[in-house]
Order: sequence, then structure tokens, then C-alpha cells
Amino acid sequence: MIELENITVKFNDFEALHNISLTVKDGEFFTFLGPSGCGKSTTLRTITGFIPLCNGRIIVNGNDITNVPIEKRNIGIVFQSYALFPSMTVYDNIAFGLEIRKLPKDEIKSKVLEIVKKVDLSEMHLSRAVTELSGGQQQRVAIARALVTSPSIICMDEPLSNLDAKLRVGLRNELKRMQREIGITTIYVTHEQDEALTISDRIAVFNKGNIEQIGTPNEIYNKSKTEFVCNFVGDINKLNEKIIDLMQLDKTKQHYVRLERIQVNPANKDNLLVLKGKVKSSEYYGFYIKYYIETPHQTIKVIEKNDGINLFTNGSDLTIGIAKEDIMSY
Amino acid sequence: MKLNRIFSIFCFVLLGYLFLGFMVLPLFNTLSQVFTVKNAAGETDIFMVFKFLYEGTMSGFIFNSLKLAVALVLCVNVVGVSIVLLTEYFDIKGAPILRLAYMTPMIYSGVALVAGFQFLYNSDGIMTTWLCKVFPFIDSQWFTGFNAVLFTLTFASTGNHSLFLRNAIRTIDYSTIEAARNMGAGPFKTLLKVVFPTMVPTLISLTVICFTTGLCAMSTPTLLGYDSINPEIVRLAGSSSVDEAFPQARAALLSIILAMFTIIQLVILTIYEKKGKYLSVSKTKTKLIKQKISNKFVNIAAHLYAYVLFIIYMTPVIMLIIFSLQNYKAIEAKTINFSAWTLSNFVGKSDFEFLTNRGKTVIREGAISGLFANPDTISGIRMSFILSAIAAALACVIVVIACEYIFKNKNKKRAIIVESCLMFPWLLPTILICYSYRIFFNDNIWYVFGQNLYYKENVRLLIIMAYTVIKLPYAIRMIKASFYSIDEELENAARNLGASSIYAFIKVKLPVIMPNVWAVFALTFLALFSEYGMAATFHSSYGKTYSMVVKDMTVEAGRGGYNVNAVGRQCASTVFKMILSSIILLLVYGLGSMDLREKLYYKRIYKTKLKSMLKFIGFDKGKEK
Repeated sequence: MIELENITVKFNDFEALHNISLTVKDGEFFTFLGPSGCGKSTTLRTITGFIPLCNGRIIVNGNDITNVPIEKRNIGIVFQSYALFPSMTVYDNIAFGLEIRKLPKDEIKSKVLEIVKKVDLSEMHLSRAVTELSGGQQQRVAIARALVTSPSIICMDEPLSNLDAKLRVGLRNELKRMQREIGITTIYVTHEQDEALTISDRIAVFNKGNIEQIGTPNEIYNKSKTEFVCNFVGDINKLNEKIIDLMQLDKTKQHYVRLERIQVNPANKDNLLVLKGKVKSSEYYGFYIKYYIETPHQTIKVIEKNDGINLFTNGSDLTIGIAKEDIMSY
Repeated sequence: MKLNRIFSIFCFVLLGYLFLGFMVLPLFNTLSQVFTVKNAAGETDIFMVFKFLYEGTMSGFIFNSLKLAVALVLCVNVVGVSIVLLTEYFDIKGAPILRLAYMTPMIYSGVALVAGFQFLYNSDGIMTTWLCKVFPFIDSQWFTGFNAVLFTLTFASTGNHSLFLRNAIRTIDYSTIEAARNMGAGPFKTLLKVVFPTMVPTLISLTVICFTTGLCAMSTPTLLGYDSINPEIVRLAGSSSVDEAFPQARAALLSIILAMFTIIQLVILTIYEKKGKYLSVSKTKTKLIKQKISNKFVNIAAHLYAYVLFIIYMTPVIMLIIFSLQNYKAIEAKTINFSAWTLSNFVGKSDFEFLTNRGKTVIREGAISGLFANPDTISGIRMSFILSAIAAALACVIVVIACEYIFKNKNKKRAIIVESCLMFPWLLPTILICYSYRIFFNDNIWYVFGQNLYYKENVRLLIIMAYTVIKLPYAIRMIKASFYSIDEELENAARNLGASSIYAFIKVKLPVIMPNVWAVFALTFLALFSEYGMAATFHSSYGKTYSMVVKDMTVEAGRGGYNVNAVGRQCASTVFKMILSSIILLLVYGLGSMDLREKLYYKRIYKTKLKSMLKFIGFDKGKEK
């Protein structure tokens, strides 16, 4: 279990983290999500010891590690750039941590071979230079290197951001599989909401050095606690005053509704605010299409599955329905 | 952690001690010499030396040096820019061979090159004799004084253009040239308006380097007889007040004037470097395609010019190689004799039989000796080898440790102090530093535990110190750049895996920068190995380096049957320098720049080749069974 207690980090006069507190349970896949510069990587780096704290404590399995040197923490990390040692072969990279621990050569070899299997690399790769490998393979080496010393926790700092879109999706599923198999507590940093939602057990959403919300992917997406979270995670419609009036919502608050919650040409119009509109434009995404519907009050975004049934051309007339219970208010 | 701290405090104290002892005190001593001159009445007269500057010959030396520097800037830039354009920008037939020829000065600079040029272009030299035959209007005495120095230095100094300007022109985004051509500009207009501006920052740096070369020229004017500042400083430093008025104070003043010129140049360079606005903004560069010169007449003229330069660059190299393999008689006659080949200029010894004035036949034993059989040259080579290797290694070690410290304490005052201390020698001409050492340490100095560092063998330590100090700025500029190219996360990764700070540095960071450190070591060693000016300033028989031996080689050549093949040995020494430089440059830019991937690739290839060879011989049969 990892506990962060009131962590504050300052870079000269700039306070990068303000009183961050959170708890990560054993074996959990915990994600720090947020835009660039929000403090998610900084928080991760305080856990590994790369960044000293101004205030607060870090407790791992009941031990206070706030002042433990980096090399004594036994927390693995996979870097965004992978940080593989370019002057060493794949084998030497993975064996590095074991050699420092002065393990016998045979044991090092068997441990390296074991971890290599787990991350789906072949033994053939071991004698290669790391620069000979593809991005995906380098990523696997970085993970193997971090896992081989059997750390109590593994941290991953945007490990998929250097890969192309297809590989990224494939690897994130594999990451989750590996984590489940090994059962290691994992802290994952990303700015990609899709990645965070698909991979995590729980997510902490960061904004300007603060945590906005901690929750399961479903809680974060459907029950966003703050306006920032609901805006940052997924696409959303902000309702304007006229619609707020029509729906008799609290005028002192801001109201939002997710795109997929809006019904197009609804059959049952009970408990719905029904608006007539025209398709102004559309964005084609393959398995779904996003339409911009011009209603008399405001433009509303909706998405429709690309099933060949509800396909609209620009200028088509249609109706949309918004249910009160789908509104998120702040 | 504690050990780290103790180590960094120790390094700091050592650096402070060395900076004070080997920079501040000697320079202060030199400066004070100028103002403590006594006049005829025995009173200290602050302005005495300055009066001499106006009334004596000193201003003549300054003028000569400035004249040389300005002329050199013009000539080197014209030749340097044209050779780069001819090989990289315009479509000239045979460009790869031309490029190799234009790069030859990089392998035999310094005294070796000057001695070679002198041998070929002297009034009775083979080249001048040929030239006078072909063009009777040429004066056979053309290769003397200013002309000779300018000619030699021009062709010796274009190496930097070949290296740096070539890089600059190759990084040009070809799309910008296509865009200009597309809008109607011809190849020359494009060159002037698009290509040239991107070369300006490099050209300015090269101009400054070139100006310094001219101003601080040492071996060339000394060997070819031209009165410029540096040879005069060395002469004055070795002179005594019995022969002339306060020579040491005059030498000090001259070196301080030289320092002022250097500082002014550096200020100009820094201002321009900061202004640099001609950098390419393109992220997707297309490779440069060579431009055809469409005008036939201009095209022929350009080819003609390129090949005339080719002849100028290649002739000395070929001639020196040929003459190094000719016997002493052919060399003495300065003609190539196709039946007089010998290796005696390189290896072996033989006796020389000659007739004296009295008609007696005398045999002088071992008077013909090769470069590697002659005790003088061997001791010179050994001396230069040891001093240069130690100094180059010291400079690299100091700079690597300092860079790690600077890198770790980025933007902190203490890092800036360390860097400034190491860059300080850049502001000063090498001769000023060496001269200051020679004067300051030629006494029992309390600062170095009452030792006289100029006395006897101690001078070697002083030369090593001077070599190291002078090469520090170069080493720090090159090695610091490689430190900044290391992924900062590498150290974090190593520490995260359990490595201590020092272990992470040695195991992870050092291997990454090592190819660069080797390159700096090799190039520094090479420069120091053939260095003349500094060793000459110390002028001690205990520190007689290779270049000094080469310079002295011909003085007593053949007289009384001694040193009969001295000139041949000099040619051989130039060839030796060419071979040594080529090997080192090949190691640095070939093997040294290989990354692990390439090394493993070649290892695999050679392994398979070896296996198939063993199989072929029949060694592998056992395994097959």
C-alpha cells in the first residue's frame, strides 16, 4: 500500500504540488491523469525519489520512505523515453539491477530469461543492442528491466506515448494483462483519457498541482466531481441559459451532458427535453459519427453508431432528446 | 553521500590551488614586469616600455602580425569558401577526389607542413624550379617572407573550412533552394541570397579562428623568416638585458597586446553567436542536390579553378612522400631520381664516405640515419609522445569530472565558477601563458613547495601543465556538448535500479560520452604532438619536442659528414605525421563513432567469416559430428 500524505513540492518560487494526499491499494492499477504540467509526473517522481519533497510524507507498506535515497527504495520505474542504456545490450540492460545486487551469474541469467518470457520478448533479442529494437520491443525491455528486481511497486511515466496509435492500444491491453498476472501495485501516468479509462482500477485526475477527483473509471466519467474533470474526460456539451430555462435547472450552476446520452429521433419522448434541429456538420470516425446539430437555442454535439441506419447528411432535419438525469451540474 | 561531498570539496580546493598557481600568479607576474622597468638612472619608470613601443621596433612586429592576420582572413576565406562550394554545392566532376585533396592539410599541419613547403618552394626547390621553367616571369625568390608565410598558412588553414563549412552547407534545407529556383532565381543568385546567409555564422567563427591563426602564427614565420609578434616574444624571452634593453618586459608587453587582440575578437564572436538568426527552421529537411552550372564558359572556368587547387594541395603531399623515399643525393640535388629509392630516411643506419678538402677519404659512421634510428628524432618523438599523451589525458579527466559537476549543479553559481575557471585560458594567447610560466617558475617558488619548475627535468612538468591548461577550453566545449546530449533519465534509471551516483556515472553515463572523450583526447594529442610554439617558448634542452627536433634537423645538415640525410629525414618525419594523423582520424571518426549496434553488427559478421574460414580449413569437423 502506498500513502501520500499532504505532499508539497516547490521549484524555486513555483509550487508544483499543493498538499497532495492519496492512497493506492495493494495490487491496484492506479492512474494519474491530467493535462501537461498538472503535476502528475512530479507526483510520480516524488514516489521514486527523483524529486525531494517540501512537505509531507510518503509511506510504503507502513514504512516512511520520504528520506530514503533513490537507490534504496526498490520501486521500479518505466520512463517515457524508456531510458535504456545505449551502451549495453538488451541482456545487460535487464541484468543491470541484479548485478548491482551482486546476485550469482546463474541466478541473474535465469531471472532475466524468466522476465523476458513474461514480457513476450524472445531470447534472440538478448544479445542485440537496444537501438536495434523497434519502439514496442524497447518498451518491453524497459518493463522487463523495471520488473526483474522484483520491486514492491512499479511506476510508469507515459510509457506508451512514443508508440504509434495501433501499437499503443495493443500494448496497453498487454500491460494490464501483465500487471494482473504479476499482481504488482502499479502507478501509471498518462494524459490520454482513453488509456486511463480502459486500463485503470482507479484514477486520480490532476489539475494545476491539485487532485480534482479520485475514483473508478466509471465514477470519473459518469459522476465527474468537478467541472474540470467532466470537461477533461470525454467530449461534452455545455448547456446554455435557454436550455437550462427549458429544463428548469438551477441557474446558479453550470450544466453539462455527454454526447452519447443525447437521443436522436427518440421513440419515447417521456421525461425528455425534445428539440428540433438540423445537421450543421459532421465528423466521421469510422465506427461512429459525430454530428453538430443546430437547434433554435444552441449547437449540440451527438454521436451515432455507424450502423447504416441513422446516417444523416448535412441539412437533414431531426429531433434530439435530453434526459434530466443525464445532466451533470457544478 | 559523505564520500561524494568530501570528493567534491577536494576537487574544488585543488582547482582553486591550480587556478591561482598556474593562471593568476604567473599572469600577474608578467603584467607587473611591464610596469616595474628601471631606467638608466635606476628608477622605476612605469611608461618606459610603452615609450619603447612607440620609438623602437616593437610596433613593426605588431603591424606585421596584423597585416598577416588580415591578409590571411581574406585568402583563407576565398580559398576555403570556394573549395566547399566546388565540392558540395556545384556539380563539379571528380568532387570526391577533390574533397580528399582539399582535406590533406588536416593530416600534416604545423612544422611538418611548413618544412615540407619550404623544401619544395624554396628558390632552389623542385616546385619553384619547375614553375620558373613553365612561367619564366615568376621570380625564383617568391617564396620568402610575407608571401611565403601567407601562401603556406592559407593552404594550411583551410582544413577548418573543409570540416565546419561543409557541415553548414550540408544542413541547408534543399527545399529552400528549390523554392528560390522556382521563383526564378538562377544558381548564383540562389547561392548569394539563400545559401550564403545560412553559412554566415560559421564563416564568422572561422574568420575569428583564422585571424587568431595569423596573429599568433609561430612556426611558419619562425621557419620562413617573417618578423611577427610571436617569434619576437620567444626571441626576447631568451635574450638578456646585457644585449638589449629590458627584453623580458618587452616580451611581456607584446604578449599582453596579443591577449588584448584575442579578447576583442572573442567579444565580437560572442556577440555574433548570440545574434545568430540564420538557423534553419525546417523540420523535414531534404538533401542537397548539387547545382549544375549552366553557363558553359563559367562551368569550364570553375572546373579549371578546382583542378588548379587540386594540384596545389596534392603536389606537396605526393612530392614529400616521393622525396622521403629518395636517397640523400637525389634530395640534395632536389630532383627525383627513379633509381634512387631508399627506406634509409625512415629506418636503419649506414656509414657515409666522403673526400675531405685535403683529399683524404673519411668514413663517418652512422651519418645516414632514419627517422626511427636517429637518437635525436627518437628522443623528440618520445618526448612529444609522453608529454602530449599525459596532457591530453589530464585535460580529458579534469573536464569530464568538471562537466559532471557542472551538469549536476546546472544554473548554480558554483557551476558557473568552475566552468569560467576552465574557460579562462581561452582568453589568452598560448604564448602569453607559456611565457608567464617560464618567467614565473624560473625561481624557487614557495607556492610549489620551493621548487624551480623551469630547472632541468622539471620543465617537462611545466610543459605538461601548459599543454593541459591551453587545451582545457577546447576540451570543455566539446565534452560539455556531449554531456547535454545524454538523456537525463539514464542516471535516474540507473539509480532507481539501485546504483549509487558514482556507479551510475561510471557504468551508464561515461560509456555514452566515451566516444566523444576519445575523440577529444585523440585530437588534442595530435595537436600537441606536432605543436611547436609552446615548446619553443620554453626553449629548454630538457623539453625538446618532436617539432623542435624537426625544425633543427636541417641546420647542421651534411656539414663535416654529419647528419647527411637530414632533409630526407625531415620529409620522412612529415610523412610519419601524415600516417599518424590519418590513423588517429580514422580511429576517431571511423571506429570511435560507431555505436553498440554497429559494433555488434561487425562482430557478428567477423564471427561468421571466422567460422566459415575454420570450416574451410577443416577445424569445424569435430563439431559437425
